[in-house]
Amino acid sequence: MWKIYVSSSLAAFLVAAALPAQGGFPVGGGSQGPGNSSSPRAQTAQAGVSAPADGIFESNTFLETANRIFDPTSDSMDFENGSFNWKGKTFNIAEQRAFRSRFERFLLASPTEEEARYAQLMADILERLSVSNKNTDDTILDTWELLFRASDFEIDGGNSTIVANQVFNAWRIRKESRGVAMSQRELEDMRKYQQEVVANRRRMLERLEERRSRETAGSEDEGSGSSADSVEESDLPSEAAFRALDLAETEAKILALETEAASTGLQAKLQFQSQIVSFLMQRRFEHALVLSGFYQLIFKGSHQELQVGKSQLEQFLPGSDLSYTVDSMSFIAREAINDVDKGVEAVNAAYEENRTMLALERLQEVFFLGEYLTELNKISTEQRRHLLDLYRSLMEAGDLAEAKDYDGVKMLAESISEMADDFPKARVLSAVETAKSMSDMAVFAASQYRNTGEVEKARAELMQAIEIWPSNPAIREFQMETTKLATAGSQGVKIFDDLLKRNERRAIYERRMELGFALADDAERKPLLMEVVDEVARIDLLVKQSEELVKQGEAYAAWELLAEASKIDNTDGPMNQARAELAPRVADFVQRVDRAERQSSAGHHAAALAAYLAAQDIYPASRICRVGVEREASALMSGLREESAEDD
Amino acid sequence: MRRIRHYPGKLVIDCLRLFSLISLGVFLSACGKGEFSSLEALPVDEYLKKPGNFLGNTYLISAQIDSQIKWEEGVGRILAVEAEGSSSRLPVFVPEGAGRNLYVGQRYEMRANIREGGLIYVEDLRKF
Repeated sequence: MWKIYVSSSLAAFLVAAALPAQGGFPVGGGSQGPGNSSSPRAQTAQAGVSAPADGIFESNTFLETANRIFDPTSDSMDFENGSFNWKGKTFNIAEQRAFRSRFERFLLASPTEEEARYAQLMADILERLSVSNKNTDDTILDTWELLFRASDFEIDGGNSTIVANQVFNAWRIRKESRGVAMSQRELEDMRKYQQEVVANRRRMLERLEERRSRETAGSEDEGSGSSADSVEESDLPSEAAFRALDLAETEAKILALETEAASTGLQAKLQFQSQIVSFLMQRRFEHALVLSGFYQLIFKGSHQELQVGKSQLEQFLPGSDLSYTVDSMSFIAREAINDVDKGVEAVNAAYEENRTMLALERLQEVFFLGEYLTELNKISTEQRRHLLDLYRSLMEAGDLAEAKDYDGVKMLAESISEMADDFPKARVLSAVETAKSMSDMAVFAASQYRNTGEVEKARAELMQAIEIWPSNPAIREFQMETTKLATAGSQGVKIFDDLLKRNERRAIYERRMELGFALADDAERKPLLMEVVDEVARIDLLVKQSEELVKQGEAYAAWELLAEASKIDNTDGPMNQARAELAPRVADFVQRVDRAERQSSAGHHAAALAAYLAAQDIYPASRICRVGVEREASALMSGLREESAEDD
Repeated sequence: MRRIRHYPGKLVIDCLRLFSLISLGVFLSACGKGEFSSLEALPVDEYLKKPGNFLGNTYLISAQIDSQIKWEEGVGRILAVEAEGSSSRLPVFVPEGAGRNLYVGQRYEMRANIREGGLIYVEDLRKF
């Protein structure tokens, strides 16, 4: 399962997440164990929170969803840390790519007759090694010979030969130990003799010393014979020393033989124990069981405690303070085999209930643990092919998600949902649509910023749009439009001046983007452009509103809006067209208002007032009439006041 | 019981007296309308189309006050009135001197002169 999401580089994360792996040796330390697998999850959460500030929140959201959905890997498999956790035991899975290839090879393979025979043979060997059987030297030898038959099978991988060699080595060492014991007995006899010789020689010397003392006291003047005695006396200590040296040499030989025997026996045990631990960590559980069986038969019960591999076992079983024995290794191996058997049953059950995604996830877990066990042959060829198709599709979808090819992901999601009923297609499609929308919005924002001349902001928005959806068609359109604008920009000043001179305000409005691009830094023309754009936009708004009022049957109100628009620019084409279309429906009203305006223009305020009142009788809510009445009445009253003042 | 005696000549005299009184009333009534009776009504629709054609003329306008558009002390008031025989309202100016207490909804007969600019200047008015 992809567990780590690197917020700063999504692509890097996905590449890392896609790296498959597998291995055979335990990982080092609890820091890589499952207990710390929450660390990547914590990083993921952190990435999700910090993402909005980086502007790639949506991209992360989609990819996290895709990672969860398209990754069929079991939670117990952590390719980021390269570990696989099973019941507190941590295996090293090293590289996901290698694991993926082996898993696909398994899905492509079919159970064979040869594998069935091998399974039977291994079961037979384990049965023979059982302590419940009376194992004589002959039966052990027969069982040992079966190992060579087992090693002939390809699936065995030559591991049975390793077991056989270990057993043979133990036997050879034991035989050598017997030879050493014989030599040791002979040397001990020799030492006994030498001890006696040395002891006798000392007694003789003591006697000679006593006699010499007596003779010296009886004839002090005799000196002729004394020289011969002196010679004899001087020779005696040298012989004793020589004899003592022989004895010491014999003692040393005995000690060396004793040491050699002890060393040879220990070496045999250590080699045995090392191989058991090695088999266990390579997930060769059957061979670990077979070797343990031989060990228990060859060595005494008091020698069951493991002398080697303790540090490796502590890593393999983190947090355990057990005293590791050969029996405990056998127990773990047997438990693993049983667990694989149950796991296969679970896979088959899930598959039969059309929980295909679940079956695939559990199968990966079971496959890693029982890769070298024949229990996996209970999964049929047809089932393997279907799961292979699903596995490949999920991997491909993951790759497409990594590349942010949302259309491709969508198509594959449809395809996968046909293969697996429990595939959450709706979540995928929803995530795809959300990501697309966010990218479109970013492109739209970039367009807005570009049109207002805020280049840096436009660039940032565009980068975000690309980050979320690199193949967004709107991005290409944006780029083409920008190129077009940049090209037109050089001629923009001339175009604007010409159009303004001819008072073609709507034409300016329609080319506002390219003109805005061109006049972004023109302090003189830019305000004029903004004014024209604002005016025409207001006219457009009034025309649109009048169309709505016409639809509601409010023809007079619609006409009044168009009259307002005409005051902004009475040459505007769309506005005049709308007035022309509406005029027949409000002819009487229009006629009276026109008359009022003409009279007003001529300074005939009373007549204008009469016309406005007449128009108001047709459309009492008329704003034009209300304003006109007010205006003309004031003007009229003003004139009358002057007349009154003159009369006075 | 005393019997009342009737004379035919006295009955004729009483009838003549009654006739004389009625005739006097009608006469007095006709004389009270004064100048209004000789005026013709303003053709409202024509006036609205071309008010310039009516400049200098004096008309009788029988109308109900619709609203007061403007009033200025010392000058007068501009009223919107509904003339009889027309669906359109007309603006009329009632100078300060001619004006009495005018209320919306009251009906008046107005003697109005059409002045420059199409102004309907009310010279006199009375309720009817």
